[in-house]
Formats: sequence, C-alpha cells, structure tokens
Amino acid sequence: MTYLLPHILNGLTLGLLFALIALGFTLIVGVMEVINLAHGSLFALGAYFALTVIGGGWFSGTEFGVWWHGLPIEHRYVLALILGPVLAAGAGMLLELCLRPTHGKAPLYGLLLTFGAALVIEEIIRLGWGTGEQNLEVPEVINGPVLIGGFIYSKYKFFAAGFSAASILCVWLFLERTPYGAIIKAGAHDSEMVRALGYDLSRLRLLVFGFGASLSGLAGIVMVPIWGLRPHVGIDVVIPAFLIIVIGGIGSFWGAVVAALMVGLAVGITGAYAGAWATMSMYILLILVIGLRSRGLFGRKSALEN
Amino acid sequence: MSDSRITRRRLLTTAAAGGAVSVFAGPWKHNRVWAQATDKPIRIGITSDASGQYANSGASDRRGMMMAIDEANERGGVLGRQIEYIHIDTETTPATGSRVAERMITREECGFLVGAVHSGVANAISQVAQKYGVVYLNTNSSSPTESGQNCHRVKFVWDGNGTNFAKAAVKNAIDTFGPKWMLLTNDYVWGHDTAKATKALLAEYGGEVSEEILIPQGTRDFSSALLRVQQQKPGVVSAAIGGDDQKAFRQQVAQLGMGNSPAWINSQQDWPDVYGLPLENLFGVFGTTWYYKLDLPGVAEFVKKYQERYPDTQMRVPGNVFYNGYMATRELLAAVERAGSANNIAVIKALEDHKMPAAERMQHHDAWIDANTHQVQQTIYLASANGKPSEDDDMFEIVANAAPDVVMDKGAAAACALESYEDTPSFDA
Repeated sequence: MTYLLPHILNGLTLGLLFALIALGFTLIVGVMEVINLAHGSLFALGAYFALTVIGGGWFSGTEFGVWWHGLPIEHRYVLALILGPVLAAGAGMLLELCLRPTHGKAPLYGLLLTFGAALVIEEIIRLGWGTGEQNLEVPEVINGPVLIGGFIYSKYKFFAAGFSAASILCVWLFLERTPYGAIIKAGAHDSEMVRALGYDLSRLRLLVFGFGASLSGLAGIVMVPIWGLRPHVGIDVVIPAFLIIVIGGIGSFWGAVVAALMVGLAVGITGAYAGAWATMSMYILLILVIGLRSRGLFGRKSALEN
Repeated sequence: MSDSRITRRRLLTTAAAGGAVSVFAGPWKHNRVWAQATDKPIRIGITSDASGQYANSGASDRRGMMMAIDEANERGGVLGRQIEYIHIDTETTPATGSRVAERMITREECGFLVGAVHSGVANAISQVAQKYGVVYLNTNSSSPTESGQNCHRVKFVWDGNGTNFAKAAVKNAIDTFGPKWMLLTNDYVWGHDTAKATKALLAEYGGEVSEEILIPQGTRDFSSALLRVQQQKPGVVSAAIGGDDQKAFRQQVAQLGMGNSPAWINSQQDWPDVYGLPLENLFGVFGTTWYYKLDLPGVAEFVKKYQERYPDTQMRVPGNVFYNGYMATRELLAAVERAGSANNIAVIKALEDHKMPAAERMQHHDAWIDANTHQVQQTIYLASANGKPSEDDDMFEIVANAAPDVVMDKGAAAACALESYEDTPSFDA
C-alpha cells in the first residue's frame, strides 16, 4: 500500500486537472447540445494568450517590452490567469455566433462546424505563434520539487490540482447558488421553457459558450506547464475530455468531476505498473461504464439522442 | 435496342491495343524509363513529416535537403540536369508514409526519395521504394531495425542508430553510476529496438535492468513513471523517448528536480526536440552525430551558410537533423555524378561502400556506407548540457567522441538480408 499511495495521489491530482478540462466541455454540451470539438483548440488558445501576456508578445524588444519583463513574474502570471480565459471566452463567443445557423438542426452540423473551427484555430496559432515548442513560464514559488514522505512530487502539480479544485468549486457555487446558474441549468434541462419565461435564449447560449471557452482557456494555462505548449496540444486534450463527459454522463457536472477522477486514477496507476496500458485504461474504463450504464454514470436522456 | 455484341474485329483490335499498353505500362519491373531526354530534371520526393509527433524535426530535415538541392542547382545541376523536388507531409504515420511514397513514385515520377524521422514511417516508405526500385535515403530515423531486419537494397540509413548511441554510452555509465538500470521506453519500433540494444550491452558489461516501463506515444503526463523511478532508486535511467513526448518528459523531470539524480542516459537527442528549452531541462548524457560548435574546419562556414539561407527560422543554427538531411541529399547527388547516370542500380553501387573523409563530413573520423547494411558508419558524440554557453544556442557540451568501428552495430549486419540487384527493379530516373 505504501508503494501504491504516491500513485493514488498522483492519479487524483491528474483527475482534478482532467476535471477542469472537461467541465467547460460538458457545460456547452448540456446547454448548447453541441459537442464542441474546438474545445481543445480553445484550451490551446488560452495558453497562447497567457504566453503573450507573460512574455510581452509583440512588444518584446521595445521599451515597453523591456519594462514589462522587469515586472515580477508573479504579477504577469496572475494577469495571464485573468486575461487568458477572457480572451478565450471572446474566441468562444465568436465561435458560437458562427454556430447559430446550426441551432435546431441535427447535432452533426454543430459537430462538423466545430471540427472545422478546431483546424482553423490551430492554423491561426501556427501563424501567430509559430510551430515550435514554447515554454510557459511560471513563478518560482510554485515551481520545483516538494518532498512528501519518502517521495518527491512536483510543487506545480499540487498548485495546478488545488487551483482546479477551487475553480470547480467556484463553478459549482455559481451554478447552484446564483440566479444565473439556475437559468443555465434550466436551459440545459428545457431550453424552450426558459425562452417561454422570457429569457433571451440566444444571449444565454452566447454567454454559456463564452463561459465554457473561458474554463477551457483557464485549463490550458494551468496544464501546459506540465504538458508543453505546441499548436496541436489541443488535440491531446479533446480525447480525454470527450471520454470523461461520456463516462460521467453528457451534460452532468458531477458526472464530469467523478469521471475525471476515475480516469486520472486509472491513468496514474496503470502508468506506474503497466505503462503501455496507461492510455488504453481510459478506453477500457469507458467500455466498462457504458456497458453497465449506456448514458454514463450520471447521464440522462439528452437532445443528442433524438 | 442497343447493339452490345462484340464483333471479332473489335475483339482483336482491343486485344492488340491492350497488349501494346501492357508492354509500356504493365508491370514496371526492369523496364521503367523516365529520363527520355538528358535535360529532363531529376525529381526527388521529400518524405519528411510536417505534422504529428516529429513535425519540428521533419521541418529541420527538409531544410537540410533543400539546401543541398539548391546548392547543386546553383552549380548547374547534376549531370547537366536540374534537380526538382516535391514535398508531401508523411504526418508521422506509417500508413501515410506508404501512400505518399506510392504517389511520389507512380504519379509524381520521383526517381529518388529522401527523408524520415520516425522509424515506422521510414520502414513503410522503404517497402514501397523497394517494390519500384527507387533509391531511398532514410535521413534521420534511428531504429537499429532500419539497417537490420528492415534493410533494403534501395534504402540507405544516414543517422546513427540506437545501438551505436548505446555502445558509446553504456559501458562508461555502468562504470560511473553502477549496474542497476531502469528503462523508460517509447512504445514503438525505435523505442523497443533502442531498449533491446541497451539491454544487450548491459548483459555484456555486467549491468542489470531493474524495470522497464513502456511509455505510449503521445503521453503527456510522465509522473507515474517518474514516481516508479523514485521507488526503484536505480543508478541510471536509460530513456528512449522521442519527439514532442521528449519535451514534456524533460519538463516534468526538471520540475521534480530529478535531473541530477539518478543519472540519465538518453540514447539520442535530436536538436529540434530540445531547442529553446531551459538549461535545467537538458539533464543527462545523450548521443548525437553532430554539433554546430564542433571545433573542426568548415563548421563555422556551414553555420553561416545556414543562417544566410534561413534567416527567419526559429532555430538559429543547424542541428543534427538538418545536418543529416543535408549530408544525405548531398551524397545522393554526388553518387549520381560518380555513377555518371541516374540509373538506380548504378546509383546504389556508387553509394555502397562509399568512403566519406572526416573533413568533408565535418566529423572527427572518416565515415563510410556499409555495403552489407547500407548504414552510414560515422563518429558518435556524447553530449551533455553546457553549463557555460558562449551564446544562447550553445546548449550542449560535447564530452566524448567514438570512432565508427568502436560503436558499429554488428547485430544489424547479422539481421540484414539485402535483396539482390536482380530482384530490384531497374530504371533510369
């Protein structure tokens, strides 16, 4: 058990990070009834925006750029954590406007359009930031190793997991404790009834998409110091995010969180004892869960099934 | 009612026409002639990855080939013929590599193929190339199988392989850091074959493998494997992890502060995989075939030429992948000149057993193309992070070099059975 403990901790940490990625995805699916294949690209976009904020971007080499670099990394990093998701939200809202002609049509239209958007965003990233690997700098205080018991773990990973847990809690409080959250949940349950009550459904969808995109962008900023930043990093993200929302049940908040923790544990433990099966463990988990509960752990019948 | 009956005359005419077509277009074996006129350009198919795991290395590989081709054209071409090239992305995927090779040969009329980083892709391309007899230069993939069990008469392998690199590093590392080793192996052909070579050497020199962890390609989180390393406490970890995986891996080892202990041996390190990473991410000792700061004649000029030709490239100096792409293409064109013909069999013979003086290759020892395996036998360098860089790009310090005969992969020669010349379709490119 002593041997297993670090791997369980590692799996839970990984699961919290996966949960942050999957949360925006499941919100958009729940309310919009669109499987947003551009979710990973918005994840990458958030991280690239953060890279620009931290590094000074186009101002590098100018007087302003030199002054900017003189600011402590902590300040620039916090600003990136705010601006990155905001800019990703803007990109997400733009995508939602493009998706409008597909509303009310078969889910395949939205799926194809978001797939196309993913390709476009990736190319924009290549043009804007280049094709090479980039390094997202993080403050020294959350970097480096930390000794726990007899093993060394990454301080940054603890930070990322804690940050993810706090973000998940904030999203839950927002959905459960605010009138806006109640409208979003109602929209996910019966959008036509929400419209009948006088709420502007188009605006609701726009805001939900923006919110989901900002969560994705935030996940990007938190994850890429671990995963590395390159134009196609979003592709690495979409597959686990998709698996998680299917395992948890499409549109279910707690389903996404529980499934993400299960996937994290599966990947963490198999990675340690049967490395070749680490990625495969996600799919095996999916087969097991779907075999027992076809709509996932917390799933209900959704419009995607019509 | 339409008349669909076939008359005897039509049948005979059709049969005669079909026969005539089959003479020219039928099975190409031994009778394909592309160069009807001597001024027809020589067409080279560049089969480098532009997307996927090895996209960055593929771009560097391609730049090397293009510089060699441009230089040849600036000299007036080869045998008075200009060199044309076409590039199609092989996507770091063996199936795409096969399709690209097939298309380049049958539709684009390429007489030669050049390029590869991923050994699975290289193997797929070489099978198609052998079917048509098209000479193929595998520039940068380094699985021992490429010049071993997957060798072909048409294929020439330019990079050092996993066995060469392991031979340069293993014995010394056992002596310095002890016999207990752990292997982290990318779960595909290059990783497996490199690990196999390392295990054989460990057995030979008294080392032992306490555990091997297979890492699937595309892995982004290595913490499970790294926690296992901590639990096992090996003296040395030998990591065969390539491409973009390598970057994420290095990042995470550095985050855990594990770069100095245990000792890390990375059998090979391609420059595009680590370019721009912070110094603390460049832990360990690794093998390479070239470095832009080698203190040898011609190196500085080569670097200058690269910088003039590629002023906007993120990598400001040529790396080992660029070097291999350049050298392979240059030697291919030189072999056509020596052969005095673009006939594939003549070019193969001009390449086999060809000696390449150290001065021309900007390495410490003379190199040659092994006629039995078609692998370039060359100097292998061991490098580590440079604690006192003379400039931003000066990331490595070359700590040793090994002569080709010392690091030769004898297993490849035993496993390789080249097709005969007679079994290799002949044609003029």
